Amino acid sequence: MTKIKLCGLTRRRDIEAANRLAPEYVGFVFAPKSRRYVAPERAAELKGLLSPGVAAVGVFVNEPPENVAALLRRGVIDLAQLHGNEDGDYIARLRALTDKPIIQAFRVRGARDAAAAEASAADHILLDSGAGSGAAFDWGLLDGLQRRRGGGAAFPLRRGRELRHRDRRRQGRGKNGGVCMRREKEDGSMTNQKGRFGVHGGQYIPETLMNAVIELEAAYERCKDDPSFNAELETLLNEYAGRPSRLYFAEKMTRELGGARIYLKREDLNHTGAHKINNVLGQALLAKRMGKTRLIAETGAGQHGVATATAAALMGMECVVFMGEEDTRRQALNVYRMRLLGAEVVPVKTGTATLKDAVSEAMREWTSRIDDTHYCLGSVMGPHPFPTIVRDFQAVISREIKAQLREKEGRLPDAVIACVGGGSNAIGSFYHFIGEKSVRLIGCEAAGRGVDTFETAATMAVGRVGIFHGMKSYFCQDEFGQIAPVYSISAGLDYPGVGPEHAWLRDIGRAEYVPVTDEEAVCAFEYLARTEGIIPAIESAHAVACARRLAPEMAKEQIVVVTISGRGDKDCAAVARYRGEDLHE
Amino acid sequence: MSNIRTAFARGKAFIPFITCGDPDLETTAAVVRAAAENGADLIELGIPFSDPTAEGPVIQGANLRALAGGVTTDKIFALVRELRRDVTVPLVFMTYANVVFSYGAERFLSACAEIGVDGLILPDLPFEEKEEFLPQCRANGVDLISLVAPTSENRIAMIAREAEGFLYIVSSLGVTGTRSEIKTDLASIVRVARAHTEIPCAIGFGISTPEQARAMAAVADGAIVGSAIIKLLAHYGRDAAPHVGAYVKSMKDAVSRA
Repeated sequence: MTKIKLCGLTRRRDIEAANRLAPEYVGFVFAPKSRRYVAPERAAELKGLLSPGVAAVGVFVNEPPENVAALLRRGVIDLAQLHGNEDGDYIARLRALTDKPIIQAFRVRGARDAAAAEASAADHILLDSGAGSGAAFDWGLLDGLQRRRGGGAAFPLRRGRELRHRDRRRQGRGKNGGVCMRREKEDGSMTNQKGRFGVHGGQYIPETLMNAVIELEAAYERCKDDPSFNAELETLLNEYAGRPSRLYFAEKMTRELGGARIYLKREDLNHTGAHKINNVLGQALLAKRMGKTRLIAETGAGQHGVATATAAALMGMECVVFMGEEDTRRQALNVYRMRLLGAEVVPVKTGTATLKDAVSEAMREWTSRIDDTHYCLGSVMGPHPFPTIVRDFQAVISREIKAQLREKEGRLPDAVIACVGGGSNAIGSFYHFIGEKSVRLIGCEAAGRGVDTFETAATMAVGRVGIFHGMKSYFCQDEFGQIAPVYSISAGLDYPGVGPEHAWLRDIGRAEYVPVTDEEAVCAFEYLARTEGIIPAIESAHAVACARRLAPEMAKEQIVVVTISGRGDKDCAAVARYRGEDLHE
Repeated sequence: MSNIRTAFARGKAFIPFITCGDPDLETTAAVVRAAAENGADLIELGIPFSDPTAEGPVIQGANLRALAGGVTTDKIFALVRELRRDVTVPLVFMTYANVVFSYGAERFLSACAEIGVDGLILPDLPFEEKEEFLPQCRANGVDLISLVAPTSENRIAMIAREAEGFLYIVSSLGVTGTRSEIKTDLASIVRVARAHTEIPCAIGFGISTPEQARAMAAVADGAIVGSAIIKLLAHYGRDAAPHVGAYVKSMKDAVSRA
């Protein structure tokens, strides 16, 4: 992904312009000889005015590492960029003083310079034709350059049509404007503003729904710290849904894979057979407190639909579930369960007749009937406040993992793995570990028949930033922004977008997202059944597949937690079909 | 004064909506010309989107037919450039945020300015998110049209105060599509809006008959019709232009009597 850094800011109105334009980074130049030099005190002041979503980079030329580290420590800057003759020793000394990202700049005049940059010990490299002159160098010199650790490289950008708007705002700066284009991800310090996760999130919905989401947000703010609401929810989660769910040590799997110790977080043991109930009970209670009498929901695999129908039955509410017609065929058992629970299931025939169309249809239904109806959205997606509400209700998963693992092992896991469609079980599994930097967070996307084919749903791997279903995030789309048809064997991961908080966690490099194909998922489905006697949902099998790849490469004393988001009864017929066997129940 | 104001300068306005490329761009060109010749005061041109969440089945169908025919944003820009050689009525694009975002807001809006598009309607861009595109709209002299809905209530004044071009008043809850009756108290909404803005108010969603159009034009400054026209296109296909022309004439006559 391309990121933008505006460099050489010195005045309050530069910051105001940056806040409007929202680049990923701004740069303060601390090299006294530069005409864009800014004193540390002045920079601290400017940083205070800077929007929390924009990270500040300090630019230095042979500055003593102690001074650089002090600015990082004080939060005046979030990253350090070195432009002098700093060598490996220097970077090692600076590294000992700070864990913030370090960028080293190189002038590229020939292939040898590119190779030196390649060997840098810094987290990221910056390649330039001069000292931020804005002139482009021959990008062909970079052919064959393979940066380690996925660290980014920044190149000065040719002034093109895309940047005209930004340039206009930078009046009179001349060509030393130093607008740099960054590639790849790095550790920024984006702040989670209300409704925004970095640039992602927001409320891109019809005006008709605005008061409904504002009302929902207000109701949620009232309830989330209300002891009676929380007590009622906890009772339901424990007594009705069967929480806490088990954290099971998969001893046989651990032995077979011969690496890290593997724990399975058993969300499949919840009532209704998946993690979806955590969110649904919370939202249904919230809806009830808002005086709503009718729940509508979208569903892919049917797990969220079943959970919503269950909560509606329990609380005496009316329930309508929208489900892609294709999915009603793939998940016929769940359609029957929903009807048994008293819900109306509406097959959605538009578009690809899968999850995205079910979401669109549920949103359409909500615009036509708001007064008595709550849209019980099933994933960490859609307009604010849904991504936050659903995340908070699912965060119980990581809260329990943390406590259970402390009891069993006395420490944090080394990695947490979960499957990602919209991303609700994954964000629930990650949430309480986001601040624990030693814990790798790995989301497994559905690659379908492979990320190099059109039959994939791996949004992070093949998508780009867009606006759809109420949010800004990554989406699979064509060059004109038409949402692409996606495919996965798993109806629950068969979605062309991803929740905005995941998009942000990826942008800042805090979580990794890996594609897993149908074939790998089916093998993992069968593997877990055979090895541990647990049949996971085909969605969860994507996470199991990732664990099978990862665990053998890890040390025996390391710990991996895999979230089994749901149970796989619903998938047996589809997996049998995949293996060429036709089941008739 | 924005060019859109001229659409409301000759009495009550009739505003037809046409999805570009349904069933093909030649038909769209013929239909736009027929609408303009028969009294359309402003024409909304839909750029199709794969997943139009604010549309009912009729316009959803038009979007999918157009995309299946291979229409793209660039081809629609070329169509409008060609139409602008003889069509002078104000034109606005109606599409979804991702179409503009994906193209690049500045690139999209500078193209609008260059080919002579006067405004932009994005049903999935509420007041809270309009900064996404407003600076680029302003820089290129394209009006970003605001919508108010029956549920807007306390938000009407806020939206109206900052509205540009014309204020699009959504007649009913739900998605686009013809309705046998419109129950919303639109006169009250228009009254609140007019207390906060000088720009014209036009009512859309659900209008299909001349009687409905006249009733809407009686409380506002114009009526917008989409699905009823798309139905003619779906029925007559490439031969739709004269039928749309006749329909536009009957609707313009009706709003003129309001």
